[in-house]
Amino acid sequence: MPNFLEAGPFDASDGEGRVLFRDADLRLSEGRATVLEGPSGGGKSTLLRLVAGLHSGGRGAVRRLRDDVYAGASLPLWRSKVTLMAQDAPMIPGTVGDNLELPFRLRHRGDRVFEPHRAEDLLDAVGLGRMRLDRQVITLSGGERHRLALARGLLWDPPVLLADEPLAGLDHETATACFDLLLDFSHRAGHTALVVLHHMELAVKTDGVIRLDRGRLDVS
Amino acid sequence: MSGGVISLGPVQLILAALLVVMAGAVSVAFRLGIGNRLAVAAVRTVVQLGLLGLVLERVFALDSPALVVVLVVIMTLFAAREAVARTGREYRGIRIDSWLVMAGTCLVVGGVVTQAVIGVRPWYDPQYVIPLFGMILGNSLNGISLSLDRFLDHLSSRRAEVELHLAFGASRREALAAPLQSAVRTGMIPIINAMAAAGIVSLPGMMTGQILAGSPPLQAVAYQIVVMFMIAAATAIGAMAAAIAAARRLVAPDGALRLDRLRDR
Repeated sequence: MPNFLEAGPFDASDGEGRVLFRDADLRLSEGRATVLEGPSGGGKSTLLRLVAGLHSGGRGAVRRLRDDVYAGASLPLWRSKVTLMAQDAPMIPGTVGDNLELPFRLRHRGDRVFEPHRAEDLLDAVGLGRMRLDRQVITLSGGERHRLALARGLLWDPPVLLADEPLAGLDHETATACFDLLLDFSHRAGHTALVVLHHMELAVKTDGVIRLDRGRLDVS
Repeated sequence: MSGGVISLGPVQLILAALLVVMAGAVSVAFRLGIGNRLAVAAVRTVVQLGLLGLVLERVFALDSPALVVVLVVIMTLFAAREAVARTGREYRGIRIDSWLVMAGTCLVVGGVVTQAVIGVRPWYDPQYVIPLFGMILGNSLNGISLSLDRFLDHLSSRRAEVELHLAFGASRREALAAPLQSAVRTGMIPIINAMAAAGIVSLPGMMTGQILAGSPPLQAVAYQIVVMFMIAAATAIGAMAAAIAAARRLVAPDGALRLDRLRDR
């Protein structure tokens, strides 16, 4: 199967200059949900950030989606298609609605418009059915923020979602329901997802696992 | 008293120094720990202003355009250094940026005010050029300093928010809109306060000085308005340009944050 997404090779080191990985290459196929696992501090988040293009990465790193290659000034467009849901569910100050609408207000929104009824459907799906769009995000609990971030990612519906611990702080039942949404997302044509999981027992449901350990990326 | 100026000598200045000693006593009494800094600042005031007075007497007497230009350049260098001396964070190149911003602001705002608004003749007349440029520099120093401090703080403490924008495809400009906005707003708070309170809460310093020196109040007011607008422009331009200059160093054109170039102090 041809690669849907290709990114790398990337080098990274941590704050103290210790090498996290060298020449890491990531390849993802279409229509699959892949889990990225490995010891904490091993560079999982760094790898996701590199793939998302939030770090420029080393010389010669290539980012390709289908047949389109992105670099330099086209990285914002890449990020709108290969979207990182960062750890700890960051939010902009303002309301739930402001946050859900954020991607649709940026330059690379394409022809997509924010549809409040879809937003409400997704809030419902992540178990935030009674959440009002005008609620201030500062009043949300950690678990609610994570679910809102997931709803935002799914609403934006990019070809590739890179989710860094999207289910942190959720109880098992909610985590399972939310994970199923991510699976549904990934299995559609023209989509794929790479997920760092907190609840590893959910990993059995995925289509593949990539392990990042001591600087090596192993696909299984 | 027919508009004459009461001249101040050493005795009067020593009496005034007692006021600073009082301020120092407050610091000691409440253990604020700023006694030393206050003393150093007071000594600097005396030495720096004293030297300035001597230099100005000479410059006014010599009436040389080159000398005026040299003096303005030196003032710019000092202002640029002071502007970034107390920001909470710094990056490599912060001083060069600060100097370029200062020089640019000075040239534009100072040029317009001295040459077009007031129409100083000859163009370099030190009696006008030096104090006006001094005020521009002093105020854009404040603007740059506040704006940079805020901008650098926003980038590092609210990094996740900036990157959230980037993650959904924001351009560098879109991702930096909020931090730039709050930086320039912060930089402009002092001058907006000063303009809003002018004449009601406070008599602006320059106007006070002119009136003390015997100018007719309406003339002093006219000059003060020019000066206020001049300062507003200098602060706005300085605050904005400084934040943009920092953004260019700390954010790659593709939007990736280079906060590794930023360090606390």
